[in-house]
Amino acid sequence: MTADLAEPAARPAGLSADPILALEHVTVRFGGLVANDDVSLTLGERRSLALMGPNGAGKTTLFNVVAGSVRPTSGRVVFAGQDITTAPASERSRLGIARTFQITQPFSTLTVRENVMVALTAAGASMKDAHARARDYVDFVGLGLKLDDPSSTLSTGQRKRLELARALATRPRLLMLDEVTGGVDRPSIPGIIDTIHRLRDERGITLIVVEHHMDFLRALADEALFLHRGQVVVGGPIETVAAHPTVRNIYLGDADD
Amino acid sequence: MRSVLGSRPWLTLALIALVLAAMPFVIDDNYLLHILILFLIFAVFATGWNLTLGILGQKTLGHHAFFAIGAYTTALLSGTVGLSPWLTLWLGVLAAALAGGLIGIPILRIRSMPHVAIVTLAFAEIVKLLLANWKDVTRGELGLWGIPPFPAIEIGGTTIRFGAGQIAGSFALALLAFVAVHALVLWLLRGRFGLTMVAIRDSQLAAESLSIDLTRSKLAAFALSAAIVGLSGGLYAHYLQILTPTSTAGPEMLVTLLAMIILGGVGTFFGPIFGALVLTALTEYLREYGDLRMLIYGATVTLFVILLPRGVAGLLTRRGRPAAAGDEPATAPET
Repeated sequence: MTADLAEPAARPAGLSADPILALEHVTVRFGGLVANDDVSLTLGERRSLALMGPNGAGKTTLFNVVAGSVRPTSGRVVFAGQDITTAPASERSRLGIARTFQITQPFSTLTVRENVMVALTAAGASMKDAHARARDYVDFVGLGLKLDDPSSTLSTGQRKRLELARALATRPRLLMLDEVTGGVDRPSIPGIIDTIHRLRDERGITLIVVEHHMDFLRALADEALFLHRGQVVVGGPIETVAAHPTVRNIYLGDADD
Repeated sequence: MRSVLGSRPWLTLALIALVLAAMPFVIDDNYLLHILILFLIFAVFATGWNLTLGILGQKTLGHHAFFAIGAYTTALLSGTVGLSPWLTLWLGVLAAALAGGLIGIPILRIRSMPHVAIVTLAFAEIVKLLLANWKDVTRGELGLWGIPPFPAIEIGGTTIRFGAGQIAGSFALALLAFVAVHALVLWLLRGRFGLTMVAIRDSQLAAESLSIDLTRSKLAAFALSAAIVGLSGGLYAHYLQILTPTSTAGPEMLVTLLAMIILGGVGTFFGPIFGALVLTALTEYLREYGDLRMLIYGATVTLFVILLPRGVAGLLTRRGRPAAAGDEPATAPET
């Protein structure tokens, strides 16, 4: 955690300087359901933001709005100064947005190495080059021993790591992790947290994290946005958000939904 | 890609090609060789269809339309217009590829597989009805006969003739097309194209999140798949020299070719080849059983599906081991 001392002091979400990502009044409706209601935020480069809230708060919807798999009903999404509100997910990936999935999406008939090669070849690498370079990403997430195993043989935790390797192979500027510790056995979690810290500190990647466990969030995020029923309750430094009375009541105490 | 290609796919393909090339020298029966020619043509058809159906995972059920488009285009342009079949074959391929791209555009907007199946099936029915009713040009169900064979060629002083009665030349040409198409498809599947297709099949969401342009990739796969099927249609037209709308774009063609792919192994490279061999032979063998033919045919296909759910090609590929124990299951989805 010492590397974090070199980081600028935490700023509230919405006040970050040099934003890499800005959401402006984003509203998402699914029929009569308002999943996100007038959500705005800005996120500075190399910062890490936690999206918090109880089940049904709209965290994953907001995550998908940034990743491009859900299009907002109204509002704008700006990444690195470019309006990407209507850009498809593939275009966002090319611009530098990568993601993992809450329910893992491995290419199950491919090996671990081939999963990563998909990302590398899609970015223009030759098969030979991708075959060699995939090992680096697989080793980085600690799956080196599984390199040429079918990805269908991986456990849930290993699949989460595979998705991380695959996302990193796109050389992202913004990495979005959706419950990266979900389904992972507890002894493996510190290793994952350490890997994520290295991503930010060594590679300068900006992070958005959706997680349920407060301990993980404190270890992973500088800033947080707390959502409840689609609306922003509070945003700012993670400790400030965690100490907010509404957050303590809804999230850390007995959640009301 | 091992579950798609098996191990040592180039060696396997070379062995299959060698065994097939030896057939005219060991089989002294023109009828059996005729069956093998049909097998070679249908194997190309099945492999082309399998690109979208199995490798890309799109449940397209209208590829017999591309077979008919390839067959009728080359038959009409050579027979009626008078162009060389060596040229019109490729015009048929082009027409099928364009039709593939055309049907690909609405398919891209449909995420529900049953709807993809219905739209493609309807497309094939439209093509069949057009061919059946455009009688001035196609002669409808009376059949387009007298289609010219490929003109003879001379190699090293030997004249090679093609067409219905010319078994040796027709076999050589069908084998050449079989080897060329399968070598091309294998080369593509072992490269970026193959990885992209399988990635889209396994998870469109993840594929798109890794910069894969779904529209471009699917359209390319549709066009290539239709082109290969169109090529098989052209070879069929100039070999049998007679076509009818029902025999090319009818439901029996759909069922037979689907059965070949399923029995051989959907989504595997070698599956359609094995399926085409088994079912072409079975169809011909069962002709003498009259009314019992379709019953035995159906029972055989059912038996294969029960005993070999991953198809004949499944025997060549390793099964993945079950997921390792110890980790908790994934959490439930939320908004």
